[in-house]
Amino acid sequence: MGLVSSTCLGSSFARAASIAAPRLKTIIVTFGGGARDEETFAEDGQQNIPHLLRDLLPQGTFFTQVINGGILGHYVATASIVTGTYERFNNFIAQPPPNPTLFECFRKELRRPSTDAWVIAPSNGFQRIGSSSHTAFGPQYGAGVILPKRLLSAALNSGKPSQGDRLAHLMQDNYEMPVYQPLESTYDHELHLNTLESTLKLSISDFVHDAKTLDSADELSVFIARQLMRQYSPSLMMLTLHDMDIAHSGAFSLYVDAIQRADRLCADLWSMIQSDPEYKDRTTLYIMPDFGRDADDDPAGNGFQHHRTGGASARTTWLLALGPHIRHNAVVEHPIESIDLVPTIGRHLGFATHSTGRAIEELV
Amino acid sequence: MKPDQLTAHTFASYPPIAREFASQHLSLLQRLPLAVCPSFLLQIQKLDTSFPAERDALRWQCDSLEQMPVSKFGELVAPFARINLSSQLLTSDWVHAPASFIADLSAFLWSSGEINEFRSASKAFFAAIPEGDVHPHRLSLVVIGRDAETSPANVFHKLKRRGVALTSLDHRNMPQQIFRAFREHAAHSSEPYAHWYVDGGEPWTEAYGSLPGTITISYPTLGPLRKRTLTQMERVVDSGNAGAEQMRTRLASTSPNDLNAAEMTPDPILQRFYTELFTEGSGPQIFSTSFVQWAGRELARRARPETLLLRYAPRQRYRAFDELLRDEETASFDPEGSLRDADMGAWYNWIEINRITAPGNGIFFAWLEGSSQGVLIGKNVPPGTACSTPLNLDQVLATFG
Repeated sequence: MGLVSSTCLGSSFARAASIAAPRLKTIIVTFGGGARDEETFAEDGQQNIPHLLRDLLPQGTFFTQVINGGILGHYVATASIVTGTYERFNNFIAQPPPNPTLFECFRKELRRPSTDAWVIAPSNGFQRIGSSSHTAFGPQYGAGVILPKRLLSAALNSGKPSQGDRLAHLMQDNYEMPVYQPLESTYDHELHLNTLESTLKLSISDFVHDAKTLDSADELSVFIARQLMRQYSPSLMMLTLHDMDIAHSGAFSLYVDAIQRADRLCADLWSMIQSDPEYKDRTTLYIMPDFGRDADDDPAGNGFQHHRTGGASARTTWLLALGPHIRHNAVVEHPIESIDLVPTIGRHLGFATHSTGRAIEELV
Repeated sequence: MKPDQLTAHTFASYPPIAREFASQHLSLLQRLPLAVCPSFLLQIQKLDTSFPAERDALRWQCDSLEQMPVSKFGELVAPFARINLSSQLLTSDWVHAPASFIADLSAFLWSSGEINEFRSASKAFFAAIPEGDVHPHRLSLVVIGRDAETSPANVFHKLKRRGVALTSLDHRNMPQQIFRAFREHAAHSSEPYAHWYVDGGEPWTEAYGSLPGTITISYPTLGPLRKRTLTQMERVVDSGNAGAEQMRTRLASTSPNDLNAAEMTPDPILQRFYTELFTEGSGPQIFSTSFVQWAGRELARRARPETLLLRYAPRQRYRAFDELLRDEETASFDPEGSLRDADMGAWYNWIEINRITAPGNGIFFAWLEGSSQGVLIGKNVPPGTACSTPLNLDQVLATFG
C-alpha cells in the first residue's frame, strides 16, 4: 500500500514544484480595434490616454514602432498576434488559424490545465481564436474563449425580454462586423448559459444586474476578465478591446471616446493585477493595438475611419509592457513587429513557439 | 481574356459614351497589365453617368499615358505585370464586371502579401501623370457646431496650423454673409455641377438669399434613399450568415433604380451620385455628420466643385448598431459629439479640396456656427497665425483670400 508508481511520483513532484514556485502570469491586451498613433501617443493624441501616459508608461517599457506586416483585418490580425505568424486567411470567416497559437504551445509544453489560458473577445467571429487547426495541437490545448456579448445575449434571452433594449449598447457591433453572428442553435444558447454559471460562477440574474452598470462592450470584457481572475487566476489571458472600431461609422468623437475608455480600462486592469495577490509582482501586461488606421492624407483611404490602405499609419503602432522584469520608464525606438510578441512570451515563460517573429530582447 | 486581346467589339454592351471612350483609348487599354486595366474600365463603364469633371480627368489621364515615352510607360506598368494573378482572377469577366474583379484583386493582394508592392506601384503610376491644365478658383465654406452648447477649446486645431485662426469674427448675419460670398463666387462660372450646398440638417432657408445655379442637397431631403439603403442593409443582417464583405458587395451592386432615385431628380448623373453617397461609404446611412463629410469628399473627387458650402448638423445619438440600422425614429441628438465629428470632417474636407486646387487658387473658410470663431486658409495667409481684429466675412476674404 505504501508503493506509488514513478509516474504518480513525477506528477506529484511537478505539482509540488509548481505550488512552491509562484507562476508567472501574462496578460495581453489588444488596444483596438485599430488605434492610430495620431489619437494615442502622438502629440495630438496624448490627451486621450492620460492613464497610459502618466500612470502606466513610467512603470513600463514603451516601444514606439510596432510594425504589422500582415493583413489588416481585426480577426486575422489578432490571430497573427497569437500565433506569431502573419496569417493569410479570409478575415471575414471565423476559422481557426493554421499555425499553433501561443495558448496551445503554452498549455501543451508546460502541461497547464484548460482553465489556465483564456481569451476574452467582444467581437463575434473571434470564437475560433483559442486554438489552431495544426495537427499537433488543436482545441485540447487551446485557450477557453469567452465572447461576452454572446454571453449577455444568451442571458438576456433567458430572462425578461425587455432587458435587451436597455443593454443593447453592450452588444453593439459595427460596420466591419455587422452580422458576424451566425444563427445560434438552442445548444449554443445553453452552452453560453453553462459558461456563465459553471465557468464564471455567475448566476444569470447577477450577470445581467452587473452588466447594467457598464457602459460598453469593452467594459463588459474587463468585467469578465475580473471574474476569470477571481475564479481561476489564469496564467495566460488575452483581452481584445474593440469599442474603437466604431470609427468605421465615421464618427470621430465616438472613436476617441472609445480610446479614452480603453485607456481607463487598461489602468483599471493594472490596478486589478496589483491588488490581487495571485497576480501582484508576477504578472507581465502587454498592451498593443492590433494595428493602426489610415492616415489623414492618404488618398486611398478616408483617414481614421478605416484601415484599408496598407499604408504606414495603418501598419505602425506601439507596445507598452509592464511587469516585474520590465524596465521602468524606458522607451525603445527601433522597430519591432506585432508577431514578435509570441516568441517573447514563450522565452520569458519557458516554452517553445512556432512563431516566425523574433523575441524582443528588451523584454526577455 | 487578356488586355492585349481587347477589341472595340469587346465593349459592345457598354453605354454609348463609355463605348466610344473605350474605343478611342483601345491601344492604351491593350497595353495595361491585367492587374490595373479593370480599374480603368470601371471608370470608363460609368462615364455616361459621370460628372463632366470626371470625364475630363479620365481623358487627361489616358491621353497623358498614351503620350508617355514607351520606355517610361513600360517601367511604370512592370510592377503590375509581375504580379502572378490567381486563376480565378485570370478567368473572371473583368471587362463586364470590373468592380467585382477589383474587389477580388484586393483580397488576393492582401492574402498573397503583395499589397505593399501594388500600393507602391500605383502611387508611382499615378504620380507620373502630370497635373491637368484646368485650374478654376475654388471657394469652400464649412460650417460646424450647430446646436452645440459647449465646444472644445481646441476647435479647428488642425486647420489652424494651415491658416489663420479668426477669433473675433463679426458673426451677426453670418449665414447671409456666407450666402453672399457663395453667390458672388458662383457668379464667375456657369459650368454645370460646379456649385454645391450640402447640409446635414434642414438647409438654411431662402431668407438668406437664393443660390442660383447651385445644387442643394441635405440629409433630410435624401432621406428616402437613405432609408431604402438601410432596408437593404437590414436584409443582409437578417439573413444571419453574411459578413462585412457581403454587405459591401450588396451595397456596391445597388443601383439608382433599386433605390428609386428618379423620384429625387430626373438627372441620371445626380441619381447615381445620390445613390452612391449611401452605398459606397460607411456612416452616411446612420449619421448626418458622416454624410456631410463623405459628400464633401466625393464632390471634391468627382464633381470638383468651384463653390462649395458644407454645413454639419447634429447627428443622432449613438445607439446599438442594429437599432441604427432599423432607423427607428429618435428625438435624441448629440450636438457636442457632432461638433467633434464635424471638426475632423472639416479637416478632411480641406485635405480633399486642397488636392484638387492649384496652389494659391483657393480659399477655405470654416466657421463655428453661432460664434466668433473661424479659420481661413488662403494664398495670403501665413500658416499657424491668429487674427483677433473684429472682421466680417467680406473683410476676412478681402484681407486673406
